[in-house]
Amino acid sequence: MARTPSVSRQLVFAIALPLILSFALTVFALDRIFRDSARESLRERLDQEIIYLVTAAELTDEGRMDLRLLDPESRLVQPRSGQYAQVRTARGRILWHSPSIADLALDFGPVVGSGQTSFEERTLKDGSVIGILNRGLEWDYAPGNSAHLVFSVAEDLAAQRARSARFRRQLIAWFSGLVVMLLVVLGGLLRHVLRPVRRLEQEIAEVDSGRRAQLGSGFPRELAGVARSLNALLRSEQQRIARYRDTLGNLAHSLKTPLAVMRAALAGGAEQRQALDHEIDRIAQIVDHQLQRAATSGGATLGQPTVPIAPLIADLRAAMLKVHAARDICIETEVAAGAGFVGDRGDVTELLGNLLDNACKWCRGRVRLQARVEPAAPGAARLRLRVEDDGPGIAPADRVRVLDRGVRADERAPGHGLGLAMVADTVALYGGELSIGASAALHGACVDLSLPGRTVESDVLTFTA
Amino acid sequence: MRILVVEDEAALRESLKTDLSAAGHAVDVAADGEEGLYAALEYPIDVAIVDLGLPKLSGLELIRRLRAAGRSYGVLVLTARDRWQDKVEGLSAGADDYVAKPFHFGELQARLAALLRRASGWSTPLLQCGPMALDTRAQTVAVNGAPVELTSFEYRLLEHLMLHAGEVVSKTELTEKLYQQDFERDSNVIEVLIARLRRKLDPEETLKPIETLRGRGYRITLARSPAVP
Repeated sequence: MARTPSVSRQLVFAIALPLILSFALTVFALDRIFRDSARESLRERLDQEIIYLVTAAELTDEGRMDLRLLDPESRLVQPRSGQYAQVRTARGRILWHSPSIADLALDFGPVVGSGQTSFEERTLKDGSVIGILNRGLEWDYAPGNSAHLVFSVAEDLAAQRARSARFRRQLIAWFSGLVVMLLVVLGGLLRHVLRPVRRLEQEIAEVDSGRRAQLGSGFPRELAGVARSLNALLRSEQQRIARYRDTLGNLAHSLKTPLAVMRAALAGGAEQRQALDHEIDRIAQIVDHQLQRAATSGGATLGQPTVPIAPLIADLRAAMLKVHAARDICIETEVAAGAGFVGDRGDVTELLGNLLDNACKWCRGRVRLQARVEPAAPGAARLRLRVEDDGPGIAPADRVRVLDRGVRADERAPGHGLGLAMVADTVALYGGELSIGASAALHGACVDLSLPGRTVESDVLTFTA
Repeated sequence: MRILVVEDEAALRESLKTDLSAAGHAVDVAADGEEGLYAALEYPIDVAIVDLGLPKLSGLELIRRLRAAGRSYGVLVLTARDRWQDKVEGLSAGADDYVAKPFHFGELQARLAALLRRASGWSTPLLQCGPMALDTRAQTVAVNGAPVELTSFEYRLLEHLMLHAGEVVSKTELTEKLYQQDFERDSNVIEVLIARLRRKLDPEETLKPIETLRGRGYRITLARSPAVP
């Protein structure tokens, strides 16, 4: 099973790794620099000693070196002090050596040419390391006479090495401390930043277990959209459940009366058959209406694909012509290119089907359906639908009554009232608007709808006749 | 007529068979989609009644297949599902009419009779005569690509004439295609409809698509060409 990626973990790794790498590189570089710097100052110190020796030295006529160390505290005087000096001829004969050498067998390395310098580090038999500076120069001991001499100074590097090591230890300690502190701060920061996510998680769990109905507010911008959408989803689900409960209740109650009448009619004998028929009709209509209400998924626009309206209207038109084949009707449709409905396909089909069916039933010969998309607030365009006919129209007094559930404007046309009530229900669920008026063009009824809409780019049909 | 009833609910199936036979029709029955399809393809049916919720093969699929096989007799869907989406699906799949359960037997009979008379263009989805193009599925007409608004009667007349392009079609035949009951027939109606058709199809009077043959009937003058979908 693949482990789900963790944003926190990825972030920590993404930051810690380069951090540690760059710190390691810094430590390494600083250590090198320190060592090189120490080496440089050692060399300078040794050079300084050589200059001092040169000024204090005198070459006698017999070829002896007379070197008086003026400072009795000088390290060159004390035996095994860690600082040693020597003067040699070009051939390597020792002319003078410092008292500090005592009985140490020190090899100052090969002689160097006049004007040349050599610097090296050597490890002695006892394991200690010394740094040796050799300088060759021409000594004018008499006018016209010069000798090639090699002055050498050496220093024990133990102290310096100890300093280096201490520096490195301190460096590593400080930087490690820095890295740890930074990671701790990072961790704390992440926890703080991700607290809203944990809160969201927790609130969803509460909704799931029923302790909470909706998510709270106050989420940061990035999560606010998610919270809002989830709340919309929750609301529509709650509405749907309420509707189902409502519907079942209504259904159960409203069936009781016709059933009672039927029972009485059965007891009555043959002449009651017509009454039975009538009650069966009523039951059928009640069941129809309630089931259609329950089946409406209306209202939820979250995650709903757009339903292209043009092919739907073309199909409905063909269906109407077949269903109303006994009448000579002309159905005109004008659909804007790409007009689409945001919501359930079944709902909009039912809605338009009812309106067109009514129009076809009542018209004298002409029905017109228009559809277009109007941009309203950003991202909330409206699908505007208009169904008109050239029939008698719906009298103003009846218009409100017709929308009232179950009331019919005219008993003669079967199912007229229920159909429009259904349409009104669905439109309300989608937060749309419905208005009934008179058609200016066809002089019959005119029904206008406003529903959530969107323009679909891929729609091919632009005009249907 | 010879009627095929495809219905899985036994009680309803038997009662339909009894009632339709009593009305003088020859009735075949099938209890599931596969049996129904076999009967629909093999027997000389005049009209079929199909329930949508069938076992083994759905009613919609049955209708699609019998249309694909070239059977163009009337098909009436009889079902409890009567949301408009179901009606549209049934009619688009190939049905000609739709009756919801529960129904009145008298209404069913009337609609069956009407189906017999109506022209069913299922075998030819597109008809083309000269510049006139007729889409029998969408029930739309275009002349030189421009759509023409026709009433359903005008459309049916034109469809029938175009199906028999080049042949003479009598007024009687045309009347039967439009009306289900004889007493509704008015001999003038056809003339009025033809005149309206001519005005709508050929306003400039350059095409003269429909020819009147006195005493015999009407004929489309333009030959049928293979339709370009």
